[in-house]
Amino acid sequence: MASEVNTGFLLDKRLDSIATDILRPVGISKGFLVWMGFLLVSLSGCIYAYYIQWDKGLIVTGLRDYVSWGMYIANFIFFVATSLVGMLISSVLGLMGFKWVKPIARIAEIIAVAFAAVAGLVIVSDMGRPERLPYVFMYGRIQSPILWDVTVVTTYLVLSTLLYFIPLIPDLAISKGRMGHTPKWLQSTYEVLSVNWSHTPQQYKILLKSVRILLIVIIPTAFAIHTVTSWLLAVTLRPGWDSSIFGPYFLTGAFVAGSAAVVIMMYFVRTNYKLDKYLTLYHFDMMGKLLVLVSLVYLYFNINEFLVPAFKLKTADAIHLKELFVGEYASMFWSVQLLGLIFPIILLLFKFFRKPLPMFIISVVVLIAAWFKRYLIVVPTQQNPFLPKQYVPDAWMVYQPTVIETAITMGTILLAVIIITVLFKLFPVIPIWEMAEEQCENDHKSQE
Amino acid sequence: MIKKYLFLVLIVLISFHLSAQEWVVPAEEGVKLSPFAFNDSTRKVGADLYNTNCKSCHGDPGKNNVINLVPPPPDVASVKMQTNSDGALHFKLVQGRAPMPSFKNILSSTDIWRVISFVRSFNDKYVQVIDTKKGMAGTAASNVKIQVAWVKEQNQVQMVISGMKENKIQPVSGAEVKLFAKRYFGNLLIDEARNTDAQGKALFNFPKDLPGDSAGFVQLIAKLSDEAAYGEAKADTTLAIGVPTYRPPLNEQRAMWNVVQKTPIWLLLAYTFTVLVVWGFIFYVLLQIRAIYKAGLRKDHETTD
Repeated sequence: MASEVNTGFLLDKRLDSIATDILRPVGISKGFLVWMGFLLVSLSGCIYAYYIQWDKGLIVTGLRDYVSWGMYIANFIFFVATSLVGMLISSVLGLMGFKWVKPIARIAEIIAVAFAAVAGLVIVSDMGRPERLPYVFMYGRIQSPILWDVTVVTTYLVLSTLLYFIPLIPDLAISKGRMGHTPKWLQSTYEVLSVNWSHTPQQYKILLKSVRILLIVIIPTAFAIHTVTSWLLAVTLRPGWDSSIFGPYFLTGAFVAGSAAVVIMMYFVRTNYKLDKYLTLYHFDMMGKLLVLVSLVYLYFNINEFLVPAFKLKTADAIHLKELFVGEYASMFWSVQLLGLIFPIILLLFKFFRKPLPMFIISVVVLIAAWFKRYLIVVPTQQNPFLPKQYVPDAWMVYQPTVIETAITMGTILLAVIIITVLFKLFPVIPIWEMAEEQCENDHKSQE
Repeated sequence: MIKKYLFLVLIVLISFHLSAQEWVVPAEEGVKLSPFAFNDSTRKVGADLYNTNCKSCHGDPGKNNVINLVPPPPDVASVKMQTNSDGALHFKLVQGRAPMPSFKNILSSTDIWRVISFVRSFNDKYVQVIDTKKGMAGTAASNVKIQVAWVKEQNQVQMVISGMKENKIQPVSGAEVKLFAKRYFGNLLIDEARNTDAQGKALFNFPKDLPGDSAGFVQLIAKLSDEAAYGEAKADTTLAIGVPTYRPPLNEQRAMWNVVQKTPIWLLLAYTFTVLVVWGFIFYVLLQIRAIYKAGLRKDHETTD
């Protein structure tokens, strides 16, 4: 984003055509209602599953003495991981001056907001006594990484929401007058949220300054959120978790999951909203290259994370690694490593696979693998503790997620999809004013 | 060939197993009997002693909730335990063998018999045989008193023992006495066993470096070895003769494992500073939204003017 904004684009008639394009899919359509109806009905089933858990306690899950962090915590790590992409796209790439991230930035921010918001709820799903949540704030210890995690997740959610909302303000003002086809309440929402925006240079100045502050502050916050999440595991003495590179290992893994989520949403916007003029083949090509880059870095950390303990084979690590490489979890482990990391890296090196549809398919596989990767980080370690497992029923020694647990986990994913759907459908998903400004600049350049 | 090796391994394992299980009691110890009859009162004291000293490993009698050790501590109600003779049980409690500790310095012989009386209460078939040759106590002297004092100049602890003999209070001479210092786990023998002189006196060299409590107090236990002759004569004395030692409890100072009020300062500062800085920026940006709103109001005025 330029520090000085040229408000000349506002008079330009190009703004009109861009706004018309981008606002065409915005609003409440029949498809939207059917889709939301489907999501809400499915969600109500999941809420019923949660009601059972609330009523009976965590005994309805597969969690027992040894594996006390099962699918829920794996899901939590997945949510936090995916939400980090907002920081990567908007801040890191945006501040470095990559122009191609402009139409993608808001998609990334929506993913960040939705996933960070639901991440907090996912933690609550793992609580046996959720009504005691306020105790975290009343009696929480600053020494505990759990309190740090609550702090950073909240902070990151607020920062991401602001980073989504503030650049949206001018678009809300632009959209205000052009939304005649939408219900009154939506128009009033636009009116309120556009906080009296009237495109004055002074307002642009304030906006750009605020966005710049947020872009910088969100970088350390995003690093903190996932590093602290990794510390929840790494500060305990367990085979597979007792690692000093867990912070960067989680962070780089997060970028893989997040980039894949962005590609999926980009494909959706391009095909369903017919916005291929703004999300071009070039954007997919660049995202493909980004996905290769972050995957390579993640592969590097994976090699470190497995090769070093596998070389030394300390007793407990040996048991853990054997479970992963050739034991109970071998098929899941190798599927995740090959389908979620190795194959995407190789395929995306070829230009053909960086086209929208192949990339969409690859990204779906990468995102699913990313979820199972978190499962592999959380569960096998807890099944192989240092101390011998004894004096408990045999069924408690292994972990098998129950239907209720799976339904609640599905519910959190549905909730994230609902938030994404609402933000995608009711607000412009590509920044109108930034697109117009950029086209204006490009035209001026070409005229000179 | 492999079969031969396997056989060898099996033999070694079995012999190891047997040697680990076998606890040989000398014949003369095995036939020892309690000098007194077991009754409700001995069983009650025995139960208290059992709960303090034995339960942590042997568990609740009859519930088989012993802890996992090699060799395993048997449940005291088990056949394995009850097939021991009274003398064998007494010997095993006195001697101990890894991982079972010796209770020689912790429980008196009488207390050990009381524990055995409690253990026998879980055996319906048990019929006690009492050692009638020995009286319960006081054959050599009765009403035995032990006085313990500190002789500073010589750095010694002095024990003076007197008792009723021939209807007259007089010094107990030629009796073996022992001095112990109470420690966390059991009693520590100070110096060595000594015999009292003609005045009923015995002197013990006291180490200069024995840690006491924060004021240097050490709890001393003086005992006569021959319980049959002198009864359970014992004196508990606390003297300020140890090295004053103060070990702060782990939760006294600021530490990562302590309550939130005792957070390490560096962490408190780092956390508070970081949160304040980041949220400072957030509030600043929220104020900027207000500024945008106000700037919009001014614009409205300008256009309407």
